[in-house]
Amino acid sequence: MKKLIFLAFLFNIFLSIQASASPIISGISTNEINIDTDFQGTKILLFGAKGDAGNIVIAVRGPKKNFLVTQKEKLFGIWHNGKRLKFKDSYSYYSLFSTFNDSTSGTELIENLELGKNNLKFITSGNATDDQRNEFQIQLIEKLEKNKLYASGVGKVDFLDETLFKVILDFPKNITRGVYTVEIYLINDDNLISYQSIPIYVTQVGFSAKILDFAYQESFLYGLLSVAIALIFGWLANYLFARFIGK
Amino acid sequence: MQIYLPIAEIPVNIILILLLGLATGFLAGMFGIGGGFLATPLLMFIGIPPAIAVSTSANQIIASSVSGLLPNLRKGNVDIKMGLFLIVGGFFGSTLGVSLFRLLQKTGQIDIVINIVYVLFLGSISIIMLIDGIKTLSTKKYNIVWEKKDNDRFEKFLAWIDQLPWKWHFPKSDITVSVIVPITLSIGIGVLVALMGIGGGFIMIPAMIYILRMPSSVVVGTSLFQIIFIASNTTFLQAVTNNNVDIVLGFLMIISSSIGAQLGTRAGYKVDADSLRSFLALLIFMVCLKIIFGLFATPEALYVIEVLKK
Repeated sequence: MKKLIFLAFLFNIFLSIQASASPIISGISTNEINIDTDFQGTKILLFGAKGDAGNIVIAVRGPKKNFLVTQKEKLFGIWHNGKRLKFKDSYSYYSLFSTFNDSTSGTELIENLELGKNNLKFITSGNATDDQRNEFQIQLIEKLEKNKLYASGVGKVDFLDETLFKVILDFPKNITRGVYTVEIYLINDDNLISYQSIPIYVTQVGFSAKILDFAYQESFLYGLLSVAIALIFGWLANYLFARFIGK
Repeated sequence: MQIYLPIAEIPVNIILILLLGLATGFLAGMFGIGGGFLATPLLMFIGIPPAIAVSTSANQIIASSVSGLLPNLRKGNVDIKMGLFLIVGGFFGSTLGVSLFRLLQKTGQIDIVINIVYVLFLGSISIIMLIDGIKTLSTKKYNIVWEKKDNDRFEKFLAWIDQLPWKWHFPKSDITVSVIVPITLSIGIGVLVALMGIGGGFIMIPAMIYILRMPSSVVVGTSLFQIIFIASNTTFLQAVTNNNVDIVLGFLMIISSSIGAQLGTRAGYKVDADSLRSFLALLIFMVCLKIIFGLFATPEALYVIEVLKK
């Protein structure tokens, strides 16, 4: 069934690109990622077709977060927190797919569009030299790559024929809630031919979402409930043990 | 088997969490401590964000303490009157401690302060308890008589305590002591409790034995009694002000630690009080060594990255 829908979807893309002759058109298999109690990460398929010559670049950006990076320092042999820098409004998720060869990237356009982890612009607060800022930024990116939230390299775009392409977007289990954007660019000779942006909504659903809402909206009751559960189960364990196992 | 934690926003292994709860509950029941000093670092170790680990283990401490308290209550091993005084001081102390915590958090030095406080307290308490325990045990088993060294300063300190005003009699423990002592003690411990994010039983118990000179039999029950109130207060405040309590993680820890506490309490009956004390001392000493090692060992990552709440 899934395959059938998928073929229909493919066919649609093909038809629309023929009809409208727009330089690029694409879609994704779903717009929603639902985080439930057994969420283990997910993959989303992106499909597209290009009607013009040029390179395709696809960037996926997660909701912006503030990060605090702290450097450990040694004093009399004891390690403690030293210099810290705050990174404001940085992407919590970032991955890139491209048909460019490495040698052709790094143009002004690519830089301005913040395509590629080396072109991401970070805003920091805190006193630091440029060298320190760079070092802290490298460390931040490395950590996010380690957590699979930033893609460590540039992903490949698979072409099915001259025009049709597909990319598998991988979202790990530790993604944060919010709106993610998939940006698809068609770039030819450092000119932006076409651009498309598709949102993906990452939400917590079901039991887990209800708890989250409850914790934030009714925090007073949530606090009381947490304490009550602990009191009741502590008592219950004692009662059951005394009753069935003996004092 | 994995389950997604709604507040911590990560999936965890259910079995791992249940085992962790069982172990900390066992210690709680056996030694009359909340088990927080073990649960909190272990939760962080498996990837729970520190703030959530601290708050959620406070939640779990309530359950293991209730579960451990009730058998003691049945046996009449709780000095409720003393417990109430300790609760009053504990509330003031922990509130004070939370403010101090925020201050240190702003300057970024909270970690090192917590660790050094841990080392100083755990180290000195465990060494005193261990020496005392070994002496008592060796006298009992091998009739070795230890030369009584005049511990002048400590004796003088106790004499000074004994002449403080507002003396009350505590019939259960059969001691008469100025109420200033338990209240001051519990304020001090309350501050540490908030700083370390734990129940504080492992500091409270030695204080009850050496400073209040309560009999060993009521110490465990009375400690658990007051911990329930302090931990409830902490859990509630953390849930309301910081939204840090993960009820799913808490629930898993609660079930397993309540069972662990029951087993621990029963195991505790089979071991005599002096051995129990030495075991606890050894355990605390080991945790202390681990922290010292942690202070000097080269950290796994020279840069620590945190996501800030907006």
